[in-house]
Amino acid sequence: MSMSAGTVLCGARIAITALCCCLVLAWEIGFSAAEEKCDLLKGPCKKKAGDIEISLDISPKPVKAMERLLFSVSVKGGHTGETLFLDLAMPGMYMGNNRVFLKKAGDGKYYGKGIIPRCPTGKPLWSATIEPSGKTKVEFPFDVLY
Amino acid sequence: MSSIDSIYLMMFMTGLMGGFGHCIGMCGPAVTAYSMGLGERKAAAHLLYSLGRITTYGILGGMVGLTGSFLGIAKSLERLQVAAVALVGCAMIVMGISVIGWRGFVTGPAPAFGGRLSALVFKAMKIVSESRGLGMYYPMGLVLGFIPCGLLYTVLIAAAGAGAAASGPVEGFLGGLVMLLLFGLGTTPALFMLGQLSSALSAKLRGRLYKAAGVMMIVTGVIYINRSFQ
Repeated sequence: MSMSAGTVLCGARIAITALCCCLVLAWEIGFSAAEEKCDLLKGPCKKKAGDIEISLDISPKPVKAMERLLFSVSVKGGHTGETLFLDLAMPGMYMGNNRVFLKKAGDGKYYGKGIIPRCPTGKPLWSATIEPSGKTKVEFPFDVLY
Repeated sequence: MSSIDSIYLMMFMTGLMGGFGHCIGMCGPAVTAYSMGLGERKAAAHLLYSLGRITTYGILGGMVGLTGSFLGIAKSLERLQVAAVALVGCAMIVMGISVIGWRGFVTGPAPAFGGRLSALVFKAMKIVSESRGLGMYYPMGLVLGFIPCGLLYTVLIAAAGAGAAASGPVEGFLGGLVMLLLFGLGTTPALFMLGQLSSALSAKLRGRLYKAAGVMMIVTGVIYINRSFQ
């Protein structure tokens, strides 16, 4: 059985349109990354990467989008630089480079202010990635209120 | 390359990557919807739409750069954005209804039932189905540029940061303006390609398949209106 080229072309184009709409619907319905979330409502979250231990806290709580937030990072071992940065991202959706620069406040503590933008889809999962050394990256997934 | 040059390059690249990785998913249905039945004028229509969007982005960039405050501008724009989302949702539903083929309703006499609301819907459908002149795509882009968008917010946050660090209000305004213009320019290839593809697609679609695209437009319009109430 042979299909005409026009039918195949038409089918392919329908599939592309359907895929486009399905992507939006899927995003609306929700498919968030099944990662362990950092419950920042209860306090700072700690993670280890080799010899380096990093803790992150965000205030004020609850963590809300479109508010000026204070990011507090504590690094034990490894990083001793004057500055550190933290990248905010939404898993599964490119949101551009939202980098918070943290200043050293002594004793391995760093502070910086940043804003988490509101996503119209209402997906709460965000992540903060800290890179204390060129080889190490530590990611903290957490929920945000809109 | 100076740090200022690298910021501008980063804005363009953010737009370029975001166009394919973010905008096609989030704004794709709106672009697909307005692309239906564009005919020969599609390239000009898509460019005018993008020009409208870029104009809005530039204005927003200039405002946050001037004030050095993202949150202040975002707060003052909330109502306008809600209205823009609702307007786009309504327009997509009307376009979807028009595509499905309730053409008797569109091209026939004004209905004598339902009072003002049905007359309003009738008028809107008339506009959508009949006046598809190129002139409507630039203002459409202007309105769609106000739709709340996480990627746009991220770029505006960066522009506000640059504005706060600027030596004066003029430098802040111009810096924010250029940053957002470059961002908008970067998003254009992805949406232009999607628009061209959708226009070509709609020219080939016939019968039930074309109606299925109309149903998708209505569903997407409902999603947009739902967002505006959230």
